[in-house]
Amino acid sequence: MKDTKTELKFFSVPEWKKEEKYLREQHKNGWEFVNVSGFGLYHFKKCQPRDVVYQLDYNPDSVSNKAEYVQMFSDCGWEYLQNFVGYSYFRKDASEVGDNEEIFCDDESRLDMMKRVFTGRMIPLLAIFFCIIIPQMISQNLIDYPANRILGIVFCCMFVLYLGMFISFAVSYWNYYKSIHR
Amino acid sequence: MDSHIRKVYVPMTETGFYILLCLREEAHGYSIVRKTEQLTNGEIKISPGTLYGSLSKMEKDGLIRFVREEDKRKIYHITELGSQVLDLEMKRIERLYKSMMEVK
Repeated sequence: MKDTKTELKFFSVPEWKKEEKYLREQHKNGWEFVNVSGFGLYHFKKCQPRDVVYQLDYNPDSVSNKAEYVQMFSDCGWEYLQNFVGYSYFRKDASEVGDNEEIFCDDESRLDMMKRVFTGRMIPLLAIFFCIIIPQMISQNLIDYPANRILGIVFCCMFVLYLGMFISFAVSYWNYYKSIHR
Repeated sequence: MDSHIRKVYVPMTETGFYILLCLREEAHGYSIVRKTEQLTNGEIKISPGTLYGSLSKMEKDGLIRFVREEDKRKIYHITELGSQVLDLEMKRIERLYKSMMEVK
């Protein structure tokens, strides 16, 4: 039997809680997370099934202060795994994790992380949306050359795709906001 | 003290309060975690993500300053502005406590 496996899995920008659960489930089933690369290729290696808590942080500031950042988490017992598109991956054995212990201990800092994700990941997408996709969609569909028809359709599709992404982020943000302001 | 500082830090989170309280002496992140645990008999356990975010925010806002680095751990100390904010917060908590005892 193979000792490693790779799964292709796509989590959209605001779905890090889902991703944490996915990694924890894999470890419970005897697949230890090794790393993630490319467009969401999750690499695992076979291990003894164990309950291990996985946590993600998004903090662009940590890139320039990596040594101190990793040290602080490791002082608190969290093993640093890797950085992937701005997200830092940590894990800790469930037996060492206290009641409801997470890498964030209050709602304010949970919302702060959400805001960092918004600034780091969503603002660039919004910029592309408003500065490229919308103007191109309008101009390509107004010019009456047959050659532009295809481009017109392409930009219309991108418009729908991006809009879907923004709505999904807004819904996740809202649910998240509600869940911590119960 | 400008209105931004007041708005963000008065009142402040429990984590923020313990960070400023501990930083009246020079300290690094993990020693703040341990000291807070001792002070609260283990009831408050500051998590690293929250701690890292709070320290960077407070440093940016001038409530604490970076002193030096030891073994990859940054040592911070409270500033004059930080002390003023902590004073305000202590007075607020004293008032809360006094009111509580009066009606108890």
